[in-house]
Amino acid sequence: MKNLLEHTGLEPGRLHFSWISSAEATKFVKVAKEVSAAVRALGPAKYLVKRRAEVV
Amino acid sequence: MGDKIFTKQGWVESLRGLAGDYMVFVPVKEGDMYAFRHLDNDTKVAFDDYHNTRMSPKSIVYPQSERMFEYSLDKQDPDCNILKEVPKTFAPQAIVGIRPCDAHAFQISKRNFDTPEYRDPWWVQRYEATTLIGLGCNSPRSTCFCTAMGGGPFDEEGLDVLMFDMGETYLVRALTDKGEAFLGKLNGGRSADKTDREAALRLSDHVRDGMPDVVPVDPIRNKEIKDIFDASFWDDVAFACLNCGTCTFLCPACWCFDVQDEVYGREGDRIRNWDSCMFPLFTLHGSGHNPRAKKFQRVRQRFMHKFKYYVDKFDDGFQCTGCGRCVQFCPVNIDIRDVLRLMSDEPPVRLSA
Amino acid sequence: MIELTEKIRDIAKKLLKDGTVDVFIGYKKGSVPMMNEPVLIRNPDEADLLYWDSNCGLNLCNYLTGRTDRIGILATGCNSRSIVTHIIENQIRRDQLYIVGIPCTGMIDHRAVNRAVGHREITDITESDITFTVTGKGFQETFNKADYLQGNCKVCRHRNPVEYDEMIGEPVEEQKGIEPYSDVKNIEKMSCDDKNAFFRRLIDKCIRCYACRNACPLCYCPTCFVDESRPQWVGKSIDPTDTMTFHLLRAFHCAGRCTDCGACERVCPMGISMRQFTRKLNRDAEELFSWQAGLSLTERPPLDTYRSDDYNDFIK
Repeated sequence: MKNLLEHTGLEPGRLHFSWISSAEATKFVKVAKEVSAAVRALGPAKYLVKRRAEVV
Repeated sequence: MGDKIFTKQGWVESLRGLAGDYMVFVPVKEGDMYAFRHLDNDTKVAFDDYHNTRMSPKSIVYPQSERMFEYSLDKQDPDCNILKEVPKTFAPQAIVGIRPCDAHAFQISKRNFDTPEYRDPWWVQRYEATTLIGLGCNSPRSTCFCTAMGGGPFDEEGLDVLMFDMGETYLVRALTDKGEAFLGKLNGGRSADKTDREAALRLSDHVRDGMPDVVPVDPIRNKEIKDIFDASFWDDVAFACLNCGTCTFLCPACWCFDVQDEVYGREGDRIRNWDSCMFPLFTLHGSGHNPRAKKFQRVRQRFMHKFKYYVDKFDDGFQCTGCGRCVQFCPVNIDIRDVLRLMSDEPPVRLSA
Repeated sequence: MIELTEKIRDIAKKLLKDGTVDVFIGYKKGSVPMMNEPVLIRNPDEADLLYWDSNCGLNLCNYLTGRTDRIGILATGCNSRSIVTHIIENQIRRDQLYIVGIPCTGMIDHRAVNRAVGHREITDITESDITFTVTGKGFQETFNKADYLQGNCKVCRHRNPVEYDEMIGEPVEEQKGIEPYSDVKNIEKMSCDDKNAFFRRLIDKCIRCYACRNACPLCYCPTCFVDESRPQWVGKSIDPTDTMTFHLLRAFHCAGRCTDCGACERVCPMGISMRQFTRKLNRDAEELFSWQAGLSLTERPPLDTYRSDDYNDFIK
């Protein structure tokens, strides 16, 4: 899924996958921080964003 | 105003001169197909080489997707939950080079969108703002059957102006007041004389006489709906059908639409989109029941609507113009002409071979 | 081609006469050139409708879904692989089928041929072993078939059926030295913005007729997500983001299942190369899971099995 989305123009770094067990609170915090930093660095999303239908 | 003669280059130059008065659409080549696009200074106009556009020009009057209303869902907004018509302008526009079959299709659709009881505001206003400048067909394709559908390669019905391609020049004839007004704004050209007019007549007679008249339609009119509806051939006709929307979306005369709401946060739009009798959402009831749940029922609906229901309701022609798009582009080659032969109890050409 | 057509008719007659099958699915000659029509034959005397040439690009497996009778079916390499996929996904039982395999030398790309004759109207097409001739008003041109194959046929590595009960003719030689994913690799080299622009342009003519989805034997869901209105998963207009969503999700549903039969591309009325979506997934399936769909009746596809050594690099 990540591969095709990035193949069609999604910036690498916007989509993240991780296994986190309900017991891994520290890992969750760490990953959440990393994801948020990576996505923030990329700025607002352009790909697959629909504000309003582009029709007449 | 009498007929006028324009050189081919002079005609396009004159059309460019209309920029302030009309939005002018002309056929242009895009990749492997043609489409109607705005005429501007560097547009390469394809009057000479095009047979017809892949998509019919119906979308210029009746867009595939159109925003009808918008609304707010914000409880703080005094207009919350009130549908408001989306403001639109309907500036004069002209489709130049439209084929007579496609112009004929607007007359067919008008029966649906502009009735004494109901007038579709968007369709009617766009249609009324549109001038149709037809280009007669010098070389119809083998898939064309307009004459069987009551039209013809130089048919005037539905057109405001008709152009005859005379080789080096166009003979241009106004057919309505709208057409007179359009030509009145054009610079250049000279008045056509008797020789020009006779040549145009010879051309149109010659082309029309060469049209195949192999599609029988009259027997359908006299048959009972139920007899055709229950005929045994529908399963075979529908077998290959993919239930895709190619035939209905390419068709100049298919008019069905579906209305959908889209919500974005605290606001929303009510949008109408072309629908297709081939689609599972078509005529799906609120209860979940669909009277046309099966493939053959959807296929049957398409042909029955065009050649029986429409005929019985309006008693004037068919909901088909014989443009041949569905014949050419049906991905599985369901040939409407074969289906017509079956509906008229005549053996289809291919099966009898 | 005539000999193959004759053989297909004879086999269909025999199968229908001796009761091996209830129906036979093949092609009949189209009413317009290069457009043959899938056909269901119910009794032996209709079998002479059957026809075979290089314009049989629809995937007949598409017509198997939900059938409960015994079916004879014509199958090329890619069609047979789709049938295998259908069987392992429990859409049809192997014992319902009598598969008549037909080695394939590729299907003609009708768009390329129309382009080659300057879009003049072709009214007839005839074919010999390696060439074909098109005729229209005032012209006749002969082409090498190999130069006008559909995109998927050019890179095909399975021209011979992989599963069959009977084979028509001798197997053909498989194409050698194929670089199957050069187009995908070229896109991979693009910048992120260029990729985005490439795919937006690719589908900008899409009219959402869903011919690609409906021609695909893999798309057999009773209700497709785009046809749901409660909830409305995706907008129904021709908004570019909604259209892209449709194409992406259609492709994702084909992951590890697509045999690159090319039916989606062949049927598109707007000439869109939507194989660019599925081909990336095919490449990934092959590179990451050593998997090509539809080659085996016994092996489970990568997306419905778990192995401890599955590709895992994307997970942090």
